[in-house]
Amino acid sequence: MIATRLLKKELQDLGRDPPAQCSAGPVGDDLFHWQATIMGPPESPFQGGVFFLTIHFPTDYPFKPPKVAFTTRIYHPNINSNGSICLDILRSQWSPALTISKVLLSICSLLTDPNPEDPLVPEIARVYKTDREKYNELAREWTRKYAM
Amino acid sequence: MSSEHQNLPVSASLRSPARMATAGPSSTSDSRSESSNNASGGAEGNGEDATDNSNFECNICLDTAKDAVISMCGHLFCWPCLHQWLETRPNNQTCPVCKAAISREKVIPLYGRGSGNQQDPRDKLPPRPPGQRTEPEPHNGFMPGFGFGDGGGFQFHFGIGAFPFGIFTTFNNWGAGAVPPAPGTQQYQEERFLSQVLMAMALLFLLWLILV
Repeated sequence: MIATRLLKKELQDLGRDPPAQCSAGPVGDDLFHWQATIMGPPESPFQGGVFFLTIHFPTDYPFKPPKVAFTTRIYHPNINSNGSICLDILRSQWSPALTISKVLLSICSLLTDPNPEDPLVPEIARVYKTDREKYNELAREWTRKYAM
Repeated sequence: MSSEHQNLPVSASLRSPARMATAGPSSTSDSRSESSNNASGGAEGNGEDATDNSNFECNICLDTAKDAVISMCGHLFCWPCLHQWLETRPNNQTCPVCKAAISREKVIPLYGRGSGNQQDPRDKLPPRPPGQRTEPEPHNGFMPGFGFGDGGGFQFHFGIGAFPFGIFTTFNNWGAGAVPPAPGTQQYQEERFLSQVLMAMALLFLLWLILV
């Protein structure tokens, strides 16, 4: 099966060349269930926070996208209270050439640059669009509260 | 390269596959070729060779491409991998790396010197279980016995002179081209017996034709 080989390979590559501010690895012996961490990007209100994510790989990975969700609460227009992430490459724009490392980098850049036009939490998107100071403040507060 | 990613606006990062494409499979700064330096199977011992090999890795399974095909946009895949991707999204077939339009007809098979049989990889089905299809039980209502017809001596004997039998046996053989029973089994014995009986009938028929 291609998924097992590929996941082993991705794990190897992550160990050899870890992406900045991200780490990921299997939980226990299950190669299809990973945990990842993302450090809040420096130029974002999430700076200093450590955010945990769970990753579930389907058996037909990489032809279907992995299911990635935050387990740490985060104040972000594209991430809801369940940790679900609204990111096109995790759904319709998935490509089998993507790796988990690239996915985590994309999530990092989503933290820095939210996409309020396609919000998962409309209220946060509204604050982000209308009152950036308040957004930054709330995001910093949540980061202190949940991710430090 | 990661710092370059961080500063990207989301819209740009979402197009990251396209950016990967511009980096191209030959660029060593591309994260994949960089990160998969010695990922090609057991080549971990000789690091430098492995760097070269990563240029010939399938963009889907990250292994050295088997039954390799290349897209018009220049991206290399194992045919089984690409085939599975095309099957996954039959209505939206795009290159996994750069999202260019891609289709079965628009990929070129690659034949290296080592690839012994130069069969078009697209003609090979990817490894998946074939359909289990069994032939229906033959009709043997109006002439019992003929339904057991199978190749070999049976058809041969009747083909010689007995015209009507020839038709039937051919017909039956065509309709029931099933697996012949293994010698020694009971079915085999039965068919041998039937075959002999029918041959006797055919000889009688011939005799009758001659005498009348």
